[in-house]
Amino acid sequence: MGEIVQYLLNGLTLGGIYALLALGLYIMWEASKAANFTHGDIYMLGAIVAVVLTERGLPLFVSVTASVAIAAVVGALIERFFVRPFNTEPHSIGWMLTTIAVGMMIESAATQTYGSLGRQLPSILAEKPIRLGGAGVYAQELLLPIAAVATMFGLQVFYRRTRLGRAMRAVAADRMAAGLMGIDSNLVALIAFALAAGIGALTGILIAPVLPALPTMGALTGLKAFGVAIVAGISSARGVVIVGLAYGVMEKFIEGYLSTGARDALGFSLVILALLAFPQGIFGRGEVKKV
Amino acid sequence: MILISSPTGLRATVVAANALLAIALAGTPAWAQKAEPCIAGSWELTGPIAHMGLAVRMGVETAVDEINEAGGVLGRKLRVIAYDDQGEPSRAVDNARRIGEQDNCIAMIGGFRTPNALAIRPVVSEIGLPWMGVMSAGTRVIEWEQGTNEWMFRTSMKDRWVAPFLLKKALERSSNKKIGLMFEATGWGQGAVPDIEAAAKGLEVKLVGKETFNLKDQDLSAQLIRLRDGGADTVVYYGVDPEGQAMLRSMERIGYKPTIVSAWGLSAKLGEAAGTLADGVFVAGTFAWTGQLDARAEGIWKRMKTKFSLENPGQVSMPSGTANAYDAVYIIAEALKIAGSFDRAKMRDAFYKVKYNGITGTFDPAFELAAERHDSILPSQYKLLAYYKGLLMPVEQTPYVTK
Repeated sequence: MGEIVQYLLNGLTLGGIYALLALGLYIMWEASKAANFTHGDIYMLGAIVAVVLTERGLPLFVSVTASVAIAAVVGALIERFFVRPFNTEPHSIGWMLTTIAVGMMIESAATQTYGSLGRQLPSILAEKPIRLGGAGVYAQELLLPIAAVATMFGLQVFYRRTRLGRAMRAVAADRMAAGLMGIDSNLVALIAFALAAGIGALTGILIAPVLPALPTMGALTGLKAFGVAIVAGISSARGVVIVGLAYGVMEKFIEGYLSTGARDALGFSLVILALLAFPQGIFGRGEVKKV
Repeated sequence: MILISSPTGLRATVVAANALLAIALAGTPAWAQKAEPCIAGSWELTGPIAHMGLAVRMGVETAVDEINEAGGVLGRKLRVIAYDDQGEPSRAVDNARRIGEQDNCIAMIGGFRTPNALAIRPVVSEIGLPWMGVMSAGTRVIEWEQGTNEWMFRTSMKDRWVAPFLLKKALERSSNKKIGLMFEATGWGQGAVPDIEAAAKGLEVKLVGKETFNLKDQDLSAQLIRLRDGGADTVVYYGVDPEGQAMLRSMERIGYKPTIVSAWGLSAKLGEAAGTLADGVFVAGTFAWTGQLDARAEGIWKRMKTKFSLENPGQVSMPSGTANAYDAVYIIAEALKIAGSFDRAKMRDAFYKVKYNGITGTFDPAFELAAERHDSILPSQYKLLAYYKGLLMPVEQTPYVTK
């Protein structure tokens, strides 16, 4: 029983990371119909910038705020210089290559400057694990799934109740019509990328007290988050959170009852099968084009 | 060119012979001539394991500085040439060619990764370049499965000898004699499994679990739960720092506190990164720069400290590797003195006659002709280190000595 609870808790933590990153991909997709493959590296950047600033003596709150702000600026720059110029036609895919390349550059730069070994962010919530049903979990880890769900509801409120949120929805629905209504769709995309990067960085910061912040922590995690977003149907915030949490839990049960080696092979196989069964994603909706 | 005044026929013959000689000499590879007094390395100087390359470089440069200050070898100062391979075998192969053919160095010193050392085996054999490993511990680097190893030597640990050492230390510390194995899913980790199994058979102990993990895995709870449920009170670990740190965190999370006895993939940096969680973890090694040092080691440390702007010995990330590299340079220098010239083949032959008292142990002789004795550090010289208060110390100088 204890091990089942353990896998469930570990899975929810991991799933919380996937869900938060997939939410960022959802935000960017809605605003620009492009996915940012640097997102995993932004998650890493958030963690290591916070660690470095804290090591330099800045108070934790200041380090975290600065890290999120830096990530948001980086996200905006990526949209402006590495996505927008390569996303001019409806079926442009140049942004794929540019964002993958920028992600590799960020990881290399982090390895050169930060070092290859992990360091943790201090947090009183990660000092000792708490015991639950024969299993152990750091209170810090529980913040991840909670943050994913909270972010999902927060985005709903943001999209419905704020002027900027409604502008983003308008751009998502019809970029040209939104433009005709006076909405600057380029600015909306820029802000969406900054917002997503901020959430990505915050995800890295939330896990950094438990898992050491490493330059290599983002690439595979970001790729899995992308898989989660696609399987869920990237246009559904609720879907990416549900699938994200489920994917994390599934990985931990595969590790527990099969093997670590089977985790990624089986996980990605299930992603492919899910896409075969639900081409628009499990929670996705087909795009309707009026002709 | 030699010109002899002689009858036309003879003159033509001599000119032709000279021409042939000139062609033959031009076609003779540089290595067949006298080599240069340089010791060159293909090391991990940038990238994710750059701290390992730096650890080798520290030992090599410190020893070369000492030797040069004492007058050099055979009246010539030694030079160090360092090439970066970023841990990639293809780059190591390119570097080996450059070192052997263009730089024409007398010897090459290897880096951290076993796959790199394996990749350059045919290259150094073809060139006839003496190669000295100081970290990469793969058995097959020295004991080839095919062909004869004539040019590769090692002043480091060897996996085949490390396995029984680790298992013996694990058994000494196990209360219930139930040992588990955790190994990384790489050539090194997977390659160690048969060694550990053979050692377990020899010691008549059954492993209660063999668990693997991927590089970059950050949660090893599942594997550890299985070992815990199998009753393992001691875990033998084959992996490196990031996953080692993840393992310690996972153990704390699931409330599992076995004794850990690790191969030397764990570096001094783990103590810094994991803090008190690492305390009491044992690591096999050949040397530690922390704790009480003898006069010679103290002098070497002071020199290294100044040259590499270090603050404390804990910053020597791979203490055994640095010490091995230091001793390896002296073994090369001693071999050159015996050879009497910067001739690679003569120096290689002299390796079997070198007697040297190093910081990792006494070498008498350094190497022997038998394939397994192209390793100079014998199992009797292996040491157990342990993390204590964030530092990797000789176990005798920690509270864990009698555990």
